[in-house]
Amino acid sequence: MQSESKVDPKIIEEILKFGKNVIEAPKLVSAPDEISLEVTPHEVVQQMDKTRLLHYKPITEKQHKTPLLISYALINRFHILDIQPEKSWVRNLLQQGFDIYMLDWGTPTSMDKYLDFDDYVNGYLDAYVEYIKNESSTEKISLQGYCTGATIATTYASLHPESVKNYIATAPVIDGWRDTTVISNLAKHMDVDKMVEIIGNMPPEFMYYAFSVLKPFEQGIEKYVNFFKNIENKKFVDSFLRVEKWLGDTPPIPGELFKQWIKDIYQDNLLIQNKMYIEGQLVDLKKIDMPIFTQVAVGDHLVSPECSMPLHYAVGSEDKTLRMYPTGHVGMIASSLSQKKVLPELGQWLADRS
Amino acid sequence: MQSESGKDITDYYKHLSLFWTDIVHLMSSKPQALTSIGPMRAFAANSKKVSTELIEINEDLMEFNKHLTEYYKQLADTWVDAQKKVNLKAPEIPQDIEQMEAVKRIWIDIFDNDFTELFDSGKFGDNYGKLVSKELELTKHWNNITNVVLQSVNLPSKEEIDEVYKEIHSLKKRVAKLELELKKKEMKKNAE
Repeated sequence: MQSESKVDPKIIEEILKFGKNVIEAPKLVSAPDEISLEVTPHEVVQQMDKTRLLHYKPITEKQHKTPLLISYALINRFHILDIQPEKSWVRNLLQQGFDIYMLDWGTPTSMDKYLDFDDYVNGYLDAYVEYIKNESSTEKISLQGYCTGATIATTYASLHPESVKNYIATAPVIDGWRDTTVISNLAKHMDVDKMVEIIGNMPPEFMYYAFSVLKPFEQGIEKYVNFFKNIENKKFVDSFLRVEKWLGDTPPIPGELFKQWIKDIYQDNLLIQNKMYIEGQLVDLKKIDMPIFTQVAVGDHLVSPECSMPLHYAVGSEDKTLRMYPTGHVGMIASSLSQKKVLPELGQWLADRS
Repeated sequence: MQSESGKDITDYYKHLSLFWTDIVHLMSSKPQALTSIGPMRAFAANSKKVSTELIEINEDLMEFNKHLTEYYKQLADTWVDAQKKVNLKAPEIPQDIEQMEAVKRIWIDIFDNDFTELFDSGKFGDNYGKLVSKELELTKHWNNITNVVLQSVNLPSKEEIDEVYKEIHSLKKRVAKLELELKKKEMKKNAE
């Protein structure tokens, strides 16, 4: 006798509802292109080539004396730090009374393929630090680097310690050999000389490929199934589309900068060994002697904690703090956890030293 | 890797093709010089370069296909293994919403774990690196062919444009250094 299998009518109901949501989605939500990612009011106070320095308008009566400059990553754009009011890293720090500047690296073109670490560290970053020092009449500023932006900020803090009062390293890319992510595996096997010689800049398509191999089924299927399931939840949809728009917009990376980054960080691992040179200057992490606050996410699958944490032990600072958070790379900077835990701890640490 | 006899055959045809391209080029150069004028003459004169690039493209294409096949094989093998694991863990067809969600979760977790393991492996990284490298070589041949076309219409080649970019970059650096030195001198002068 054959066993009779019964399908729960709720499954059919669920499938039909899902189909209806997919059809009705365009009526209910904006297209990603229609969403503006500029959230907190700011003005562009300086521009050099394609880079820009943004200054956010203060929202508190009193502010801490030392301004904070954020050096955002080279991958995607700075908007993730100000993705929506209730998850904005920038707004939270403004509410805590900090004077915030943001470095937008812009969109390099083929013409910029020869830009290198020296241009980014001793050129753009240094020029903007000098500008902020003049504007705020301070001798030193606080500096925060995020992800690859923290690699640049770390080398800056080593080469220009006299200009940095406090340094915050958020998921910094430091020790490439210890990095356990898929990204580091691809980077270690890349013929970067050939790529730069033939293509010029690191093309965005390569980064999209790298993103696609990170949890491909969770990120490539489940995420979008959830989107359509929750299509009527305005808050969820708004947050989803903002992050998706941010993810889908990554600029090229100048060829020479990318080449040195891949070789010196992932392939030869020179930075953590104090063997990396920028335009003939040795980057010695022991020269980072200012207070330093290192933030690491345990579930980071872009920059593993093992890659970031060695910075804490390598610097010359006596005043140093290492914090680990139970979240991921983006969760650390743009989530309810970052608002409730990461930012209050950072704000307290920075306020005591500003 | 290509077998010895395969390599011999490729080398033979490469030689044969280059021989006839060269001979035809030499034989036709004089009548060509008489009959062709203007930009197309430059293209005709460089046609040997195009033939050589096309021959080399074929060689690189073979290597590229080898790595591409391996790439898809690695993905397919991982998929089959992951699906076997899912079948073992969730053998029954889901009967209700809860079961369906549970099976979906198992499927995603197993597939993500297995594929991450693959992408993290040396064999994947090695093959992927070679695949991209071969793709870049194919791009280089295409660039070289395009350069022949560009030169025939008196437009700068990629290398020539790169030289300009390099010069601009170097000049910008020099100007920035000079500005900095000037600023330091001014500060010193003001301090005196």
